[in-house]
Amino acid sequence: MALPLQERAMETDSAELVRLTLVEGGAAPSLVNALIPSRPLEAGEQYRFHFDMTKCIGCRSCEIACNEQNGNPADIKWRRVGELEGGIYPNVMRTYLSMGCNHCLTADCLRGCPVDAYSKDPITGIVLHSAEACIGCQYCVWNCPYSVPQFNPERGVVGKCDMCRERLLDNREPACVNACPENAIQIESVNKNEWTAEHSLADSPGMPPSGQTVSTTRITLPEKSSVTWLDRVDTGSIALEHAHPSLVVMTSAMQAAFGLLCGLLLDRELSAVSLTLLLFVTVIAINISIFHLGRPAYAWRALKMWKRSWLSREVLCFTLFLVTLTVSTGVAWASLLRPALESAVTPLALVAAMIGLAGTLASARIYLVKARPAWNMMHTPLDFVLSAFLMAGPVMAVMQAPAVWLATRLQAVGLAVALPHVAPHPRAVALAAILWIANQITRIARLRGSANFERHASYNHLRGEQLWWKVALSWICAIQAVLFLLAPMPWLSLAAVSAAVLLNRYLFFVSVVPLSMGLTFSSGSHGRAAS
Amino acid sequence: MKKRATQYANAASEDRARMQPLTFLQRVQRWLGFDIARTQYRYGKDARFGYISESRIADTWTKTTCGYCSVGCGMLVGTRNGRPVAARGNPDHPVNLGKLCPKGLSEHLMIEAAGRATTPMLRRGGRGAPLEPISWDEALEVMVSRIGSIQERFGNDSLGVISTGQLVTEEFYTLGKLVQLGFRSRNYDGNTTLCMASAVSGYKLSFGSDGPPGSYADMETADVVLLIGANIADNHPILCNRLRKKPGQVLVVVDPRVTKTAMMADLHLPVKPRSDIALINGIAHILLRDGLVDREYIREHVEGLEEFVSFVADYTPEAVSATTGLTVETVEKVARLYGEAKSAFIGWTMGVNHSTQGAHTVAAINNLAMITGNIGRTGSAPFSITGQCNAMGSRETSFTSALPGYRKFDNAEDRKALADLWKIDEEELPTARGLAYPDIIEAAVKKQVKAIWIIATNPVVSFPNLNLLKQAFETTEFVVVQDGFYPTPTMDYADLVLPAAIWGEKEGTYTNSERRISKVNAFATPPGEARSDFDIFLALAERLGVKDRLFPGWSSTLDAWLEWQKVSAGRMCDYSQFSWQQIEDEGGKQWGGERLYGDGQFPRENGRALLHCVPCLPFVEQPNTEFDLILNTGRTVEHWHTRTKTGAVAMLDAMSPNAWLEMNPADADRLSLRQHDRVTVRSRRAYVRDVELRITGIVAPGQVFMPFHFAEQNSNLVTLGAFDPISREPNFKQCAVRVERSALK
Repeated sequence: MALPLQERAMETDSAELVRLTLVEGGAAPSLVNALIPSRPLEAGEQYRFHFDMTKCIGCRSCEIACNEQNGNPADIKWRRVGELEGGIYPNVMRTYLSMGCNHCLTADCLRGCPVDAYSKDPITGIVLHSAEACIGCQYCVWNCPYSVPQFNPERGVVGKCDMCRERLLDNREPACVNACPENAIQIESVNKNEWTAEHSLADSPGMPPSGQTVSTTRITLPEKSSVTWLDRVDTGSIALEHAHPSLVVMTSAMQAAFGLLCGLLLDRELSAVSLTLLLFVTVIAINISIFHLGRPAYAWRALKMWKRSWLSREVLCFTLFLVTLTVSTGVAWASLLRPALESAVTPLALVAAMIGLAGTLASARIYLVKARPAWNMMHTPLDFVLSAFLMAGPVMAVMQAPAVWLATRLQAVGLAVALPHVAPHPRAVALAAILWIANQITRIARLRGSANFERHASYNHLRGEQLWWKVALSWICAIQAVLFLLAPMPWLSLAAVSAAVLLNRYLFFVSVVPLSMGLTFSSGSHGRAAS
Repeated sequence: MKKRATQYANAASEDRARMQPLTFLQRVQRWLGFDIARTQYRYGKDARFGYISESRIADTWTKTTCGYCSVGCGMLVGTRNGRPVAARGNPDHPVNLGKLCPKGLSEHLMIEAAGRATTPMLRRGGRGAPLEPISWDEALEVMVSRIGSIQERFGNDSLGVISTGQLVTEEFYTLGKLVQLGFRSRNYDGNTTLCMASAVSGYKLSFGSDGPPGSYADMETADVVLLIGANIADNHPILCNRLRKKPGQVLVVVDPRVTKTAMMADLHLPVKPRSDIALINGIAHILLRDGLVDREYIREHVEGLEEFVSFVADYTPEAVSATTGLTVETVEKVARLYGEAKSAFIGWTMGVNHSTQGAHTVAAINNLAMITGNIGRTGSAPFSITGQCNAMGSRETSFTSALPGYRKFDNAEDRKALADLWKIDEEELPTARGLAYPDIIEAAVKKQVKAIWIIATNPVVSFPNLNLLKQAFETTEFVVVQDGFYPTPTMDYADLVLPAAIWGEKEGTYTNSERRISKVNAFATPPGEARSDFDIFLALAERLGVKDRLFPGWSSTLDAWLEWQKVSAGRMCDYSQFSWQQIEDEGGKQWGGERLYGDGQFPRENGRALLHCVPCLPFVEQPNTEFDLILNTGRTVEHWHTRTKTGAVAMLDAMSPNAWLEMNPADADRLSLRQHDRVTVRSRRAYVRDVELRITGIVAPGQVFMPFHFAEQNSNLVTLGAFDPISREPNFKQCAVRVERSALK
C-alpha cells in the first residue's frame, strides 16, 4: 500500500499538493516551510522527525497538542520537552529538547517485546505499538533508551508516539508539527543504510548516544562552541522508579523455589512430601507474576516470542520448570504405590533444576538491558542465583516440621512414606550469605565509582535518605538469617531471609536510573506528585 | 490551592480510572485486562481537523479569541453536544495564523474544570464565619443595601471598585457607567494598573494620548527589533514567530535576566536592574552625537529638542557603561544599529512598566522613536505589548483613568460631548480621576474606603506587599468578590461572592495589543447559577434604579457595543467603523488602522510629540548587607496570572507545579545552598518560605528571580509597595531580599 501522499506526489509535480500541512489543519501555508517531505519515500527510506533546537522557544505547545491528539491523561506524555543549560552569566544558554519517539532503525522496544506488539511499519518506518496485542508487561519501557513507551495504568497497556501515522496517511502533519509556533519540528525522509552508517546528527546533549538503537530523529544544534556547555537540568531531581511489588515477590519466590530444589537435590531428600511443598511454593510464585501484567488474562501470550525475547524465554523456562516439577512430584507419589518408579524421581528433579537454572538466568537476563545501566551488570545474575541459595537454607529448615507432620499422617493411613529429613547445612548457608552480601557491596562500590551518569545516580539513590537504611537493613537481615538458623529458630530465619531478599529486590527496582532524554527542572517534582 | 478533581479529559491516569462508575463485572474485566478502555481511547475523524482522539471530535466549531494574554489569538473551540472538547488556533486569523501557546491549546479544559463558582455566597455570620450559598435575589439586595448604607455614612467615594483586564469591552463600558454614574463613586480602577498603566501614562506624556502606534506586522518588517524588559517567549509566545523571519533583521533584547527571549536574540544586553533608562538616554546621546537622527521629522513633529540635547549630553557611552554594566562598545553598537536601521521597532512589557519610573521610562523609549522618526512607518513603532486579553478594551472604555473614548476628565469639551451622548447633566461627570488601585487599598487602610468590590481579579496573589492588602480588607466593612472561580485566595476576605461566567460563556469583543478588535463568542453555558458579568451589572443597575437612565432597553452586550460605537465615533479609538459580524468574519479589525501617527500629527495641543528628559534614578529599595539580593519577579509560559485558570488544567499544572527561586551559582555557593533546596525569601516586609531553589546562570550574581503565579509560594508577600507617581503602577521588579534555607516544618 502506498501512502496517498506518495501516490499524489507521483502523479503531480506540485509541491503544494503533497505538502501535508493544510490550512484547515491549523497552520496556514504562509507559516509553513516544508514541515513534511515534499517528495515520496524512495526505496530504503523511512520517515523521521527533525527537531531544530535553534528554533524551539520551549513553549511546550507540542506536549499539549500531542495529548489532545491522543486523548491521553495529563500524566502521560508521548512527546516531552526537556531543558538543557550551561555557561556562566551572562554567556549562558538554555535550550530545549522536544522529543516523541525516535522511530529507531534497531528498536530495542520491539526486540524485547514478548508478544510482538511492536512492528516497524514497512512503508513509513514508524515504530508502531498495538494496544490490543500488548499485555502490559512494560519490558519495552525498560528497553527503550529514551524512556519513550509509557504504561497507562487506566488501560493496563503501554502506549507511545506513532508519528500520527494515520494523519500522515491522510495528508496531514502530526499534531506536534502542526502545533509548533516556530516550526521547530518537521518530518523528513531518511535513507536507512546511509543513516545506519552515519547517524551523528541524532546525537545531542541531554540525549543518550544514538548508536544503541540508531535513533532516526535528526537534531539541529546551536553552534558548536555553546553546545559543549549544555547539560541536563533534571539531574538533581531524578525520581525513584516504580517498585513493581509483584515482580519483587515473584522473582524472589521463584528463586526460593529453584534454590529449594537444588537444596533438596543436594540433600537427597526428594520425597513426595518435600516435592509437594516445593510445588506449592512454585505455583504461588508463578501466579503472583501475572499480577505484574497490565492484562493478567493474556499472560499466556508472553510465550509467543521465545525466539527473540528474554521475557518470553523466562516465561517458557518457568512454565517448563513447573511442568517437570509437577511430573517429578507425581512420579514421587506414584512411587509410593509402585516403588519401581522411584529411580525416575532424581533424574526428573535434576532436569527440573537445570530448567530452573535456565529460568533464573533468563529472568536475570531480562534486566541486563543497556537502557538501565545499574541493572546491566554481572551482579544481577549473581544476585539472582545467590538469592536462590541464600533462601534455600531457611526454607528447608522451616519445611522440616510440616514435612514430618505430613509424612506421619500419611504413614497413619498406611502409605509407605519415609520420614523426611530436610536439614540445611549451616555452613553452606553462611557462605551463601557472605557471597550475597559481598555481591551487593561490590555492586554498590562499582556504582559509586562509575563514570556513567545513570549508574552513579543509582548509587546516589541508594545512599540517599529514602533508601540507605533499607540497604543496611537488608544486609543485617541476611546475617540475622544465618544466626537464627544456627540458633536454631527456623521461622525467624525464614522471616529474616525473606526480608533481606525482598528488600534488596525492592531496592534493585526503585534505585535504577534509566537512560532518558533530559527533562525539565520541575519534572522530578512532577514525578513525585504523580507517584 | 488544593489540587482539584476534574473532568475525564483533564485528569491523570489514576484519577481517570477512579472517576468512571464501573459495575463489579466491568471492574473485573478491567482488572483482568479484557477491557482496555477502548471506547475512551478510540480515534476517529474530525471533519475539519482530521484523524484525532474521538474524545476531541466536535460537532460545532465556534470562532472566538483567546482569553489569556493580549496577543489576541484567534481560536476555534470545538464543542460536542454543547460541551467543549477541543481548542484550535484559527488558521485564518491574522494574529496567529492557526498557532496557539500551551495555555490556548488547553483552554477548553478550563471551562468544565472543578473549582468554578456556581452560586452566590454570603458570610452570613460575619467575618470568621463560613461563606454560605444564598439566592441571587438576596445577594444583589445585600450588595446594594450594604454599599448604600456605607455610602450614606461615608460618602459615595467610600466604595472602591477594582476590576480586571478579563471582561469583554462591552462589559467594561457598562461597568464604568454603573460605577461612576450608578454607584457614583470615582474610586474605580482595574488590575490593569498592575500591568500596563505605565505604558498608558508614558504614551500620554509623549503623544498626548494612549494608543500603541504599531502593529505586530512591524515586528516582522523592522530591520532592528529592540525588546526592553519583555520576555515574550514566556509571556506572549505566539509573537515570537514574527521575529527571525526577515533576513538580516537584528533582534536586541535588554533584560537583566537571560530569559528565553534573550536566548533568541542576536544581541542580548544584560543590563543591571533599572539601568534601562541610562541605556536609552545613552543611545539618544550617540544618535544625536553622530547625526543618526531624522532632523526633518524632529523639525516638523517634535518639540523639546533643545532641552533634550543638553540633558542627554551627560549620558556619554562611558557613563552609560558604568551604570548599565555594558561595555562602551556594546552601547555604541546598539545605538548604531538602531540609528542606522531603515525601520526600528521597540517593544516592551513589564520590565519597563513594573517600575516607580515606569511612565517616564516609556517616555524615554518614545524619545528614541521620535528623534529617529521611527513612528507611524512600516516596521517602526514604540510598542507596548500589553498583558491581559482585554487590557486595551479597558484602557479605551473603562472610565477609570480616563473618560470613555480616550476623553480627558479635565477637558470640559470632552465632558460635554460625553454628557450629550449619554443625555445626562454634565455636572454628573467627574472632573478628575478617582483613586488608582493602590490608592484605593491605601484609602481602605486609612478607613476612607469602606466597601470594596473586586471583579475578576485575585489581588491576594497579585498585589504587592500582601500584608498591607490584608489590612485593607480587614478594615473594610464590606468586600464583594465577583469571579468565575471558587474559592480564590481573595475570597478568604470576601463578605459576598458573586459567581460569574468566564471566557467561553459570554459574547463581546476583546482588543489586543495592536488595537485589533476581535470577536469573543460563547460556546458553553455558565455553571450552576453563575451569570455573565454583564447580567450582574444590569441587575445591580436595576436595583439601584438607574437601569432605565444608564442602560435603557439593554438586554445584551450588543446593546453596550452599539452605544460604545456611538461614544467612540470620531475618537482616536473609533469602534464605529466595524460591526460584530465584520470583526468575526475578518479576523478582527484594528482601530486607527495598521499604524497611528502616520501623518506625524499627535493629539497634543500643538500637534507635536514631546521629548521628555528622564533621569535614571536608582530603584527604591537597594540591597544592603542584611538584604543582599535583588528580587525580580515574572512569569512562566505554562501559567496565567494567579493560576485560577491554568492551575485547573492538569497538564499545565503538572508542567510547572510550584514556584521556584532562580539564583546564580556564585550566590548559592556563598550561602551554601544546593539545587532543589527549600528556601525562604525574606524582605523587610515579610517572608515567603518553602520555595524550590533553582541554581542557574541565567540570573546575575546578586539577583534572584521568582515567578509570581503561585498562591502557595506568593512572591507578593515580599515585594515592595512602591508605586509610579504618574501611572500608580507597582514596582514589582526590584526589591531587596535575603535567602536562607527553610527550616523544616
